Amino acid sequence: MIAEAASPARTSDSATGARVSIRGLGKSYGSVTAVTDVSMDIESGEFVALLGPSGSGKTTVLMMLAGFELPTGGEILIDGRDCTRLPPQKRDIGMVFQHYSLFPHMNVRDNVAFPLKMRGIGAAERRRRADAALEVVRLGGYGDRSPKQLSGGQQQRVALARAIVYEPKLLLMDEPLSALDKNLREEMQLEIKRLHSELGITIVFVTHDQGEALTMADRVAVLRDGKIQQLSPSRELYERPANLFAASFVGEMNLIPGQWDGATITLASGDSLVPPPQAFPQPVAPGAALLAFRPERLALAPAGTPGALPATVREVVYAGADTLIIAAMPDGTEIRARVPSAGSRDIAGGTAIALVCPPDAMLVYAGGAA
Amino acid sequence: MKPALDPAKLLMNAYVALILAFLILPILIILPMAFSDTDYLTFPPQGFTLHWFGDYFGNSRWMKATGFSLKIAALTAVITAAIATAATYALVRGAGRLGALFQGFLIMPIVVPHIALAVALYLFFQRTGLANTVAGYVMAHSVIAMPFAVFTIAAAMSAVDPTLEDAAMSCGASRFSAFRLVTLPLILPNVLSGGLFAFILSFDEPVITFFLAGIRQKTLPRMMFDNIEQSLTPTIPAIAVLLTAMAVLVLVAAGLLRRVEARRRS
Repeated sequence: MIAEAASPARTSDSATGARVSIRGLGKSYGSVTAVTDVSMDIESGEFVALLGPSGSGKTTVLMMLAGFELPTGGEILIDGRDCTRLPPQKRDIGMVFQHYSLFPHMNVRDNVAFPLKMRGIGAAERRRRADAALEVVRLGGYGDRSPKQLSGGQQQRVALARAIVYEPKLLLMDEPLSALDKNLREEMQLEIKRLHSELGITIVFVTHDQGEALTMADRVAVLRDGKIQQLSPSRELYERPANLFAASFVGEMNLIPGQWDGATITLASGDSLVPPPQAFPQPVAPGAALLAFRPERLALAPAGTPGALPATVREVVYAGADTLIIAAMPDGTEIRARVPSAGSRDIAGGTAIALVCPPDAMLVYAGGAA
Repeated sequence: MKPALDPAKLLMNAYVALILAFLILPILIILPMAFSDTDYLTFPPQGFTLHWFGDYFGNSRWMKATGFSLKIAALTAVITAAIATAATYALVRGAGRLGALFQGFLIMPIVVPHIALAVALYLFFQRTGLANTVAGYVMAHSVIAMPFAVFTIAAAMSAVDPTLEDAAMSCGASRFSAFRLVTLPLILPNVLSGGLFAFILSFDEPVITFFLAGIRQKTLPRMMFDNIEQSLTPTIPAIAVLLTAMAVLVLVAAGLLRRVEARRRS
């Protein structure tokens, strides 16, 4: 299922990023299918994240875009040119690898200048442009160092400089931040976003970290078992997941089983709710259904508040800015709420509470157990 | 604290020391004989002279044989290093299911007795006109040296991250350029030390040489055989001194190269 909605193309200098069109892409290794019928159109200057668990085929899609894997079906067009069978060195794509893959026998400048050398650019010009690219990733003055002397974050900046030095129109990144620790990762996320808006380059970014995908990308493609589950802008993906997999894979989600009769959903606890029409990303036939809502969309209310879901607090997990409240509905179904810590001071295990679920937070999916 | 003396360990160390002594003693005995001021081999040497070294260097037949051997060894080193690098690349990067079979073929020259190999090559070279030609020697010696070179190079190659070549290709390098500019510089110390091993293996290789050698062109080991058969003078230990010195130099050089390689990777 592919959302064909027009993507929010970058307004900045859309001439510098490549348009990528992937049509019916497939890859199988013998009898094992890694990627099935993946299609997407990526606008010039867009930042698209491929998100999925390991084995979802996201890296295989990227490797086919890069030219390291040959598709067994479908085609890849970059700026209208058929690149499906073109070797990697002829695609003019910048690529950043998971483990940086810097050349250990070259200094930082020679690493960055390598793509220019491959394009027959003279030594003086190479040096000037390599140093300029190092300035862009804030590593000016590091040119003479050996990659081994740099930290992981700095090495990934060098890899980034090497990937953008010849001003490719498309930049591919294969889990580039997964080897970094959390603080550095967040810093690099912002750094890559800054570069993206400065350069106007099209970026396809593979990650298994949904927070990273939502933070960085204009649009996120969620993959599972080699198929795209949803392709939509970050906000839409988070607020209106197209299906149960996207709903449970991206972010925290309460999934409460119930019976849908076409007008109301009746939960096992006996509570009945009336979801608005927009709560259905897909049509749901009457019968077993799942009511889904984000924990942070729930509001705490005094026990007995009409229209709210009654529950008993089981556990309170303080997490700084917010507090996670794990509660049980009367039938024992677990329900989680994330509330601002400031207003949840007097909640403790055993307290009877009520949780208000605003109608626009409700989502209904077909199916029984999650 | 460890126990002061472990008898089993002590016994083992003594055993190893004995083996080393057994291996090195003949060399230590033969070497001083080169300086003996007598016309025959004797131990302990009597007197001191460098006459036998002069005899070797001053004799055009010895020099010609040495030159011939050096030429063969140098060519063997270059050809072995080149083929072993290509073979190792295939073995480490792309052999797939045939890898084990391929590796088996590469090890074969170690397993097959040299004498059997020599007879086979002799028969083959006789018919093809390669006997007693430089090409014939170089081919034969490259076969023998190949496994050693492959293992030396494979040790370095398997430590090089294959994604480095992918990275080079994403930068616009062809597959061959990616190998030449990225992988080759990283394994070069081991390629050179593989070549050095091939050189030394070729230079004092006696068995195949014995079969392939003709009357006019002789390699140094073949000349030494002849000399031993006819008149055993201290020229032989003198040459042995020189060969040993060269072997030690090559081993030291190979060791240094490996240290360079390890430093590049760390």
